[in-house]
Amino acid sequence: MGKVIVVTSGKGGVGKTTSTANLGTALALLGKTAVVVDADVGLRNLDIVMGLESRIVYTSMDVIDKQCELSKALVKDRRVDGLTLLAASQKNNKDDIQPEQMKAICAKLRTTHDFVLVDSPAGIERGFSNASAGADEAIVVTTPDVSAIRDADRIIGLLQHAGIEPINLILNRFSPQLVGNGSMMDQADVLDILNIDLIGIVPEDSGVITSTNRGIPLVYEDASPGSQAYMRIARRLTGQRIPIPDLEEKGFLSNIVNWFTRNR
Amino acid sequence: MNISIKQLFGRKRKSSSIAKQRLKLVITQDRLDVDDRFMTRLHHELAEVLAKYFEFSVNSVQMSLKQEGNSYVLVADIPYKKFHDLNPRQ
Ligand SMILES: Nc1ncnc2c1ncn2[C@@H]1O[C@H](COP(=O)(O)OP(=O)(O)OP(=O)(O)O)[C@@H](O)[C@H]1O
Ligand SMILES: [Mg+2]
Repeated sequence: MGKVIVVTSGKGGVGKTTSTANLGTALALLGKTAVVVDADVGLRNLDIVMGLESRIVYTSMDVIDKQCELSKALVKDRRVDGLTLLAASQKNNKDDIQPEQMKAICAKLRTTHDFVLVDSPAGIERGFSNASAGADEAIVVTTPDVSAIRDADRIIGLLQHAGIEPINLILNRFSPQLVGNGSMMDQADVLDILNIDLIGIVPEDSGVITSTNRGIPLVYEDASPGSQAYMRIARRLTGQRIPIPDLEEKGFLSNIVNWFTRNR
Repeated sequence: MNISIKQLFGRKRKSSSIAKQRLKLVITQDRLDVDDRFMTRLHHELAEVLAKYFEFSVNSVQMSLKQEGNSYVLVADIPYKKFHDLNPRQ
């Protein structure tokens, strides 16, 4: 029996879809079976971020409307074994699906997959209730800025109220340089405010943008810092104990060292 | 003059620590709004216990959650009329 994990945030655009695509792919690369579910009905993106947009025939709406079997709506990712996508309908909107229907889909998917990752839309409305309805666990994504963190706290409150446990945090678009010069909160600050467990820090990485342009998740590129961060998070999801490396650059000396290495 | 010597000559306070402080305050308030019922319940139960020890009017009790430095403080303002005599002489 697999786990259902909702990937969510309060504020939009903080990296939920990027995280879902990369963690799903990373879990499959680690030999697990994973299905990524787009719960952003009406504003679907997971298919294009993963590069599977041309292969979508059916969506979760068709499954709910009994137009097709669930297994038939799953799009197999041909680049890696064990990874499939369930797309969201682009023609419908969030109110066309009931939380109970999403719950039923997740309950079925977990019988055939180790991990069911649900990409939630931003916000606290219906889209969120649908996405979290069938979840055991949650990953909250935030960037280290005041509005994203404040909204993350609101979502964490709702998840706790719904009895979803554990709730893990991904700190995305982290910039060691900005933390080093005091213009960005570090992980200790963020954790002190939000008071949940950190499952990983993903640095700001232009590779995220270029890989999204190509429709090839970043985790296929071994060398990039973002890719390594997502691979570590995926390992932690499988239960491996991997310490969270300190990405901070502290002090004057390390800044000088950085300046030299960057300007070589 | 509101500008301190530190501001004039020293370095400005890091914006990240200002962000953290502002967030902590606003989130304290947000959390209270989310759980208004919790405060109401606490108010009632606290009043019940305190009524054993002194006389006061339940409506005069003021309770709030505040932030002091790094921690939250529950401040209760309870104007009492008189203490009950807990050890009445036989
Ligand atoms: N670590 C990162 N480094 C650089 N760019 C990033 C990073 N993470 C996300 N981005 C960029 O931020 C943008 C938003 O990402 P994404 O679509 O994953 O967010 P989202 O939370 O799913 O948004 P929405 O709330 O609209 O669903 C994208 O352009 C993405 O490429
Ligand atoms: Mg998204």
